[in-house]
Amino acid sequence: MKTIGITGGKGGTGKSTVAVLLANRFLAENKKVVLCDCDVECPNDYLLLGQRLKSPQKRVFAEFPKLNKAKCKKCGLCVKSCRSNAVFQAPGQYPVFIKDLCSGCGACWTICPHGAIERKKEEIGQIYLNEIRNKSEIQNSKFKTFYLITGMAKAGLEETGPVVAQTKKFALDFAKKIKADYILVDTAAGTHCPVIHALLNVDFAYCITEPTPMGARDLGLILDLCKKLKVPTKVILNQSDLGDKDKIYSVAEKFGVDVEKEIPYSKEIVKAYTKGRLLNFIQE
Amino acid sequence: MKNIRIRKLVISSGKGGVGKSMLSSTLAMLFAKEQKIIAVDCDVDAPNLALWLGGDVRLRLGGQRDKIFPVVTSAKPKIDLNKCDGCGLCVKNCRFYALKMIKSRPVLNPFVCEGCGVCELVCPKGAIKLKPVQNGEIRVKQTRYGFPLISGQLFPGETGSGKIVEEIKSRASFVAQNMIKAGEILMIIDSSPGTGCPVIAALKDADFCLLITEPSPSGFTDLKRVLEVVGHFKIPYGIVINKWDINPDLSNKMESWAEHRFMGKISYDEKIFKAISNLVPILETKLKAGKEIKDVYNKLRIILGFKKQDKKERTKKDKCFL
Repeated sequence: MKTIGITGGKGGTGKSTVAVLLANRFLAENKKVVLCDCDVECPNDYLLLGQRLKSPQKRVFAEFPKLNKAKCKKCGLCVKSCRSNAVFQAPGQYPVFIKDLCSGCGACWTICPHGAIERKKEEIGQIYLNEIRNKSEIQNSKFKTFYLITGMAKAGLEETGPVVAQTKKFALDFAKKIKADYILVDTAAGTHCPVIHALLNVDFAYCITEPTPMGARDLGLILDLCKKLKVPTKVILNQSDLGDKDKIYSVAEKFGVDVEKEIPYSKEIVKAYTKGRLLNFIQE
Repeated sequence: MKNIRIRKLVISSGKGGVGKSMLSSTLAMLFAKEQKIIAVDCDVDAPNLALWLGGDVRLRLGGQRDKIFPVVTSAKPKIDLNKCDGCGLCVKNCRFYALKMIKSRPVLNPFVCEGCGVCELVCPKGAIKLKPVQNGEIRVKQTRYGFPLISGQLFPGETGSGKIVEEIKSRASFVAQNMIKAGEILMIIDSSPGTGCPVIAALKDADFCLLITEPSPSGFTDLKRVLEVVGHFKIPYGIVINKWDINPDLSNKMESWAEHRFMGKISYDEKIFKAISNLVPILETKLKAGKEIKDVYNKLRIILGFKKQDKKERTKKDKCFL
């Protein structure tokens, strides 16, 4: 079983599109595929595949602090312990927990000497499972379906990393159960914690970029991250005929990474993409 | 006492690559003609506004030096293995799966550590100490359009993007205090895609939020997702549809869905891509998009309550405030 990450640094370069096309291609090659959408803030793969998310397979929970005023002695230790500045205390008052800033790390209830801070379990996200049937005939293919696992974080959640980690774990367990050949992990844009969680321990990653100066800059950032995470990478250049390719090649060369594929701009793909019918494309 | 009013306009989207930085940079150039502004790039993962406003962030243009401020908003535990007895409490209490027991000793995975300090708190032997880490930098530069740009960069592999965004915003306020003695100043803030901590930090105290999207199922769904965050903070907002002509049906549907929040649409042209890759500002091209963004700008001016004031009125108003 191989885990392949699909990432890119810059947003809107075609991560999800490539992920879906790759899944389809592996399917055509007689492989069992699990596609795992780890862009939990804005998961889109199910939309590209024209799917609906019905009932979640699993719910993701995290613990948040809740003050028990009867036990609280207003000592203020919780305020000092919080590195997210999510606990606020006016002089002589009970501490107030500001939910928008809380990461749920648990420093406050760990330090509280009076046991006044209780843990409250809250749902922070859901994991969905869809079976994707490829209606167009694939010749000589053993399997007609692949699986899509979608992680979805609660809107307004600060720390989405744990949702990504849980989604990925769910996908790994599921892939083991069905003996899949490939797990494709589609990440969010950027380089921060949800992306790092998604890219941890993948065997290999594709970095999707576009031939603009912004694409080149962000490619450098994501390649730097992958290097630090010790993930081998290859570059896929999307909309390759529209801009200046040289910059992308020079960034890739700097990091000693190959540009594996150039995907030229195609009106048909854009159209299929805007209508959620990407699956009809079987691309080389 | 200084009498400065800072207004914050945030450009956000949910989905990436739909034109946040394009819109922010163009709006910044337009607003700069009429009043004092500051451009702020809060996409600390992949800051590109500097590219849009002329030149690479790493280059020093026109002899003006960028000012660089290191940011230390992250901390990582250091484990003293001589004191550690391998009890495993730190591993058990870490919510971010950053510690693992290997050969009965905790080993840190720095890439997922949030630096919350719980491990330090639970360790009965006092073997763990948190050490501050420089996780990014903030750059202040003067753009060739005559307004300052404040941007931040989270170093790849580091955590704490939300805190860097907050640092950027307080640095921007500081710059604003030094720019004018009195009056209004507009902060144009470009946020990162998604709905997580850097976006929340960028949105939090906005006066108005401009959401840009594209007519695709993903664009529409992500717009609704980010609206949940915007709604949570009760920020007034407007919606702009970019590349509306790639799917006119859905675009029309989104337009009527947005009702009075709809602020304009921008048409797609392959030449835009060319202009972008050559770093030509949209306003300097003859593309339709330029005019369409100007329309959005004019609506924004009315919504934000900026009018052309003559000097007499302005001084009168200032006195009222004092």
